[in-house]
Amino acid sequence: MSGVRAVRISIESACEKQVHEVGLDGTETYLPPLSMSQNLARLAQRIDFSQGSGSEEEEAAGTEGDAQEWPGAGSSADQDDEEGVVKFQPSLWPWDSVRNNLRSALTEMCVLYDVLSIVRDKKFMTLDPVSQDALPPKQNPQTLQLISKKKSLAGAAQILLKGAERLTKSVTENQENKLQRDFNSELLRLRQHWKLRKVGDKILGDLSYRSAGSLFPHHGTFEVIKNTDLDLDKKIPEDYCPLDVQIPSDLEGSAYIKVSIQKQAPDIGDLGTVNLFKRPLPKSKPGSPHWQTKLEAAQNVLLCKEIFAQLSREAVQIKSQVPHIVVKNQIISQPFPSLQLSISLCHSSNDKKSQKFATEKQCPEDHLYVLEHNLHLLIREFHKQTLSSIMMPHPASAPFGHKRMRLSGPQAFDKNEINSLQSSEGLLEKIIKQAKHIFLRSRAAATIDSLASRIEDPQIQAHWSNINDVYESSVKVLITSQGYEQICKSIQLQLNIGVEQIRVVHRDGRVITLSYQEQELQDFLLSQFVMDLKVAARLWFSFLVTNVKTFQKVMFYKITNGVIFVGHSKKFSGIKWKVEILFIKWSCLCLHLALVYYDFFQMFPKEVSRNFDLKCLQINYKHKEEITSKRVLFLKIIIRKCLFSTFKLFTL
Amino acid sequence: MGVTCVSQMPVAEGKSVQQTVELLTRKLEMLGAEKQGTFCVDCETYHTAASTLGSQGWSAMVRSQLTATSTSQVQVILLPQPSQVAGIIGQTGKLMYVMHNSEYPLSCFALFENGPCLIADTNFDVLMVKLKGFFQSAKASKIETRGTRYQYCDFLVKVGTVTMGPSARGISVEVEYGPCVVASDCWSLLLEFLQSFLGSHTPGAPAVFGNRHDAVYGPADTMVQYMELFNKIRKQQQVPVAGIR
Repeated sequence: MSGVRAVRISIESACEKQVHEVGLDGTETYLPPLSMSQNLARLAQRIDFSQGSGSEEEEAAGTEGDAQEWPGAGSSADQDDEEGVVKFQPSLWPWDSVRNNLRSALTEMCVLYDVLSIVRDKKFMTLDPVSQDALPPKQNPQTLQLISKKKSLAGAAQILLKGAERLTKSVTENQENKLQRDFNSELLRLRQHWKLRKVGDKILGDLSYRSAGSLFPHHGTFEVIKNTDLDLDKKIPEDYCPLDVQIPSDLEGSAYIKVSIQKQAPDIGDLGTVNLFKRPLPKSKPGSPHWQTKLEAAQNVLLCKEIFAQLSREAVQIKSQVPHIVVKNQIISQPFPSLQLSISLCHSSNDKKSQKFATEKQCPEDHLYVLEHNLHLLIREFHKQTLSSIMMPHPASAPFGHKRMRLSGPQAFDKNEINSLQSSEGLLEKIIKQAKHIFLRSRAAATIDSLASRIEDPQIQAHWSNINDVYESSVKVLITSQGYEQICKSIQLQLNIGVEQIRVVHRDGRVITLSYQEQELQDFLLSQFVMDLKVAARLWFSFLVTNVKTFQKVMFYKITNGVIFVGHSKKFSGIKWKVEILFIKWSCLCLHLALVYYDFFQMFPKEVSRNFDLKCLQINYKHKEEITSKRVLFLKIIIRKCLFSTFKLFTL
Repeated sequence: MGVTCVSQMPVAEGKSVQQTVELLTRKLEMLGAEKQGTFCVDCETYHTAASTLGSQGWSAMVRSQLTATSTSQVQVILLPQPSQVAGIIGQTGKLMYVMHNSEYPLSCFALFENGPCLIADTNFDVLMVKLKGFFQSAKASKIETRGTRYQYCDFLVKVGTVTMGPSARGISVEVEYGPCVVASDCWSLLLEFLQSFLGSHTPGAPAVFGNRHDAVYGPADTMVQYMELFNKIRKQQQVPVAGIR
């Protein structure tokens, strides 16, 4: 600090003098600032004696002070004069107001002291406890609150009740008006489901599938008419509707496509008989109005008509090996020889007359619902295809048609290329293929089932796959003998049933193709049965042989190739052993006989005269032939040996 | 679409057109070819109208016409450039040929003599009607060839009578070798085959082959060959066909 140079600091007072007056020449006259005493007086006057540490006492003091001011002023008149002088002369001693306030406080305190001293004597004044009336004033605000709340709640409740009343009124009105519905509101409902347009003064609608991609030329327009035959005097019926739809006359009633497969050859006289058994109408949703059911039924009729028209067009145009017959409302084709597939459009109108003549010529089980459903799906797929981006032109000015067909002009496609673009299966071909497959599959199942019921040992098991194609199904067939299940695992077949043939995949890798003939599958399965038997017999035989082998090991006899040759035993030539061996030999002989018997006579009664031209079974049959011939040879050897040994036994 | 050679068969001396055609077809049938129906190739000629606006205006008008009215899908090998258009206007009456070929039933070909060839779909004919102001059809210009179509293994042989109006003017022979699309690769094979039934009348290599030696052969080249053939026959028009009795 001593080494630091002193710094000059200037101090200036912040407050400037207040401007009292600004002269005409711009000079300012300042108010002289308050002197120290004046300042003090000012501050003293600002002291508020009513504010203090205890508010009530201060209040009381303040109010009493105020109240006492004048009496206090009266008691000391000369002081009053002084005070009065003081009031008008604020430049006097600053503590004046302080002194006045203190004096008034003193007066009040003296009065209070006097009163308390008088009260203490209890001669002239007594203290009485104050009644509890002071309490209610305290609770008043709470009750007030309650009451006010109650009132406001009542007001809100009133509003809500009014609203509820109004709602109930409107609901009841609606209920009443349900029966007396407005035409326009009903029209609105109709418009939510169907396309309507106004032509002149008529309202027409469209129930065709044209907007969904159909190319059927039927117009499919229905008319919406006002139902004015309402008698206001009578009671309005339950199902009254102010709106009615008029559908085209050829779409009335209900229709469905019947697809059935029959085994008999078509009788020319029977062709064209209209199968008119009326199927119960599909249940409409309970809440739907009657026009909805009507229109839906008409649309279904239209769709069935389109399906049938498409099928009949294809039946006539497409060339096939066996031509399809189209008669009236039936299309008859032959997927397999001696099998007839008939697709007919059954359209029954709602007239009461025709219902009388409805007779069920064919049983309903004939009808393949699956194919009918598939027909509907296929036609819808066709519709969607016409609207797909392959068909829709890009850019929008390009002509309609398949995308690649549009390019065939500019890219100069020749006939082969155009044909390859256009080749696709028609509806009829698809349905025929599906029908073929269904028929083949059901027949294969029937064959397997019949074999299973007919033959008890060995057993056949069929496991059908759940994941199938429209044109292909598969089933896994196991043939096992009782007791040999674990050993005879080799007979496992996988049948893939296609449209026209059945492909068999054997466990050992062989793949055999069977045609659609029922007998082929049956024969093939029977051959598999025999294989299984053979395996079982061989096993039994081998079991026997192993037994004998161990016996032989003990007894020093030779066994070769399952045929037991009685060796010349040197040590043991007892009759007992020989008899035992003989017994075994004879039992083997019987077993072989049994096998041959099974082979030849049981399973294949027509074996001898059978035509072995079936290519697919040639392998099995050849094999069988060889085996049976070998077996016969074996038999001969065994018989000879047995007889020889028996003779030997008895001669020895 | 394979390499095709179109040539003209001169009428045999002392015989009519029909008889020559019959001779040819008999030879083919003896060779072992199978008849597979008929074919038809026709050609119409148009002049560019000379009395029109200047080149810019023409091209602008044409373009606007095309965009306004074209509904046909058009794939162009070479679009006519404005300079070419100007060139066309300069030479008045440049010919445009509009041709159809039954081998490509959905296509229509439009070509200039040494110029570009346009392949369009059949709506092009409708377009030509709209462009009447710019392309006027020449009088009696329609020329066509009709005949039978033979298939012999990989070869497709078409023997046709070229007619202009009611009169038969000549014989066209078209041979197509399906598997190959590069002209230079299979010309020798084609030649050999042609020699087997045309004998001494075998043509030389078409000019089209020489132009694009290793390029892929296309239908447009066939139409160019036909156009040249028709022009040649038209020029022979003055010489009357001797031997029609």
